[in-house]
Amino acid sequence: MKDFAYHKAPDLKSVQQLLTEFAEHALPVAGGSNVMVDIRNGRLNDRELIGISDIAELQGLRFSRGKIIIGAATKISEIAVSQLLAAKAPALWMAAQVFADPIIRNSATVGGNLAYASPAADLAPPLLALNADLLLLKKGGKRKLPLADFFLGVNHTALEPGELIASVEFAANARSAFYKLGLRNAMAISIATAAAAVKRVRDGSISEIRLAMGSVAPRPVRCLHAEQFLLGKQALHIDPEALAQALVWDISPIDDIRASAVYRRAMAPVLMQRAIARACGGCADEVFAGKKSADEGRAGA
Amino acid sequence: MSGTLQISLKINGESRVLHTAAHSSLLNLLRDNGYFDVKCGCEQGDCGACTVLLDGIAVKSCVILAMNCDGHEVRTIKGLGGHDRLTSRLQKAFVEHGAIQCGFCTPGMIIAAGDYLRHDGRADREQIRRAMSGNLCRCTGYQKIIDAVYEVAAELESEVCG
Repeated sequence: MKDFAYHKAPDLKSVQQLLTEFAEHALPVAGGSNVMVDIRNGRLNDRELIGISDIAELQGLRFSRGKIIIGAATKISEIAVSQLLAAKAPALWMAAQVFADPIIRNSATVGGNLAYASPAADLAPPLLALNADLLLLKKGGKRKLPLADFFLGVNHTALEPGELIASVEFAANARSAFYKLGLRNAMAISIATAAAAVKRVRDGSISEIRLAMGSVAPRPVRCLHAEQFLLGKQALHIDPEALAQALVWDISPIDDIRASAVYRRAMAPVLMQRAIARACGGCADEVFAGKKSADEGRAGA
Repeated sequence: MSGTLQISLKINGESRVLHTAAHSSLLNLLRDNGYFDVKCGCEQGDCGACTVLLDGIAVKSCVILAMNCDGHEVRTIKGLGGHDRLTSRLQKAFVEHGAIQCGFCTPGMIIAAGDYLRHDGRADREQIRRAMSGNLCRCTGYQKIIDAVYEVAAELESEVCG
């Protein structure tokens, strides 16, 4: 027997009131693309559904003083068509292009993708690479939480009872990119994803770098060992073998219906190379000197 | 706490006051009230057979919470065909190209194609394939569907340019 109640929250004040009242029983619903599937298959029951799709304050994206702020109920399709994001945060824009399918993108939201905390959430790696913060609202207070501290495990986050994701914000970085490996082009839950955001100094060396991956651990992860390895290196002369060795320490993939752990471990450095290469504005062949000869070897065989 | 809740919304231009469970999908709300032109396929957002317009934007009604549509406007294929010129043209092109076999995916396919063309979709087969990638057809092999959408897209382009 399915046992749900519904409460519409027309504004931020009412949603905070409802979330406080129902605490851990409350479940905010905007797009619904994860929630409805879980209700149908019985994974979810006995919850107070809070309708948040009409709250104007949670919608839309804006750019102010180098920062991009995206409301939690902003649709993925709005990100996918944003020329601003294509220029200022290509990693996030690229992820929106391959997110689910065009019709799902019309209803699925940024906040929903993050709050569901799937290890395969397509928006998580780019936002981790962009060093995003979440603005969390609660009755009588708010707090800013780095996205890196938000994901605790599969479908498990640092969101406290009564809290709502209001927005996600990050500094623009035009040298950022995303790469997704899936089994088909549409509605693919990723085999693995990689995102990179890079800053280079004048001599071409990497002065700042953030890397993140999806579907290679119980939660979307920052790749700190790989970042450490790349810091100070020449962006156009990265040793792919050494990068792969560093990345081993950042990921812990498992076997599942989509791919084996062995395959994910083999693909992770390849995807990361492609993301870094895209972020640096080149193709993988230029950025990874070693890869070129390998490709030529295969082509000749 | 389950019980039924009242919901007011506009369906195909008509204001309706209906009753539904708190957790019902928009798809179930529609079919429970006789809108059988909205097809129920996978019920997990994969197949696109249940695609409708919500406030003019194509969505998969099986993964939309019905109660979230209170006060909003829904259009199904019946509320578009014969009323909306673009939809009628797509329907005609589907028939002419043999883009229909069993017909189950067709309402969703036509609404998805309309959404693409309404947002400046070009006569570009690759782009059309991407735009329709959330709608599955198990009969036609897609080629005829793509041909039908391409034809309407090409006509629209020549009308604008010509």
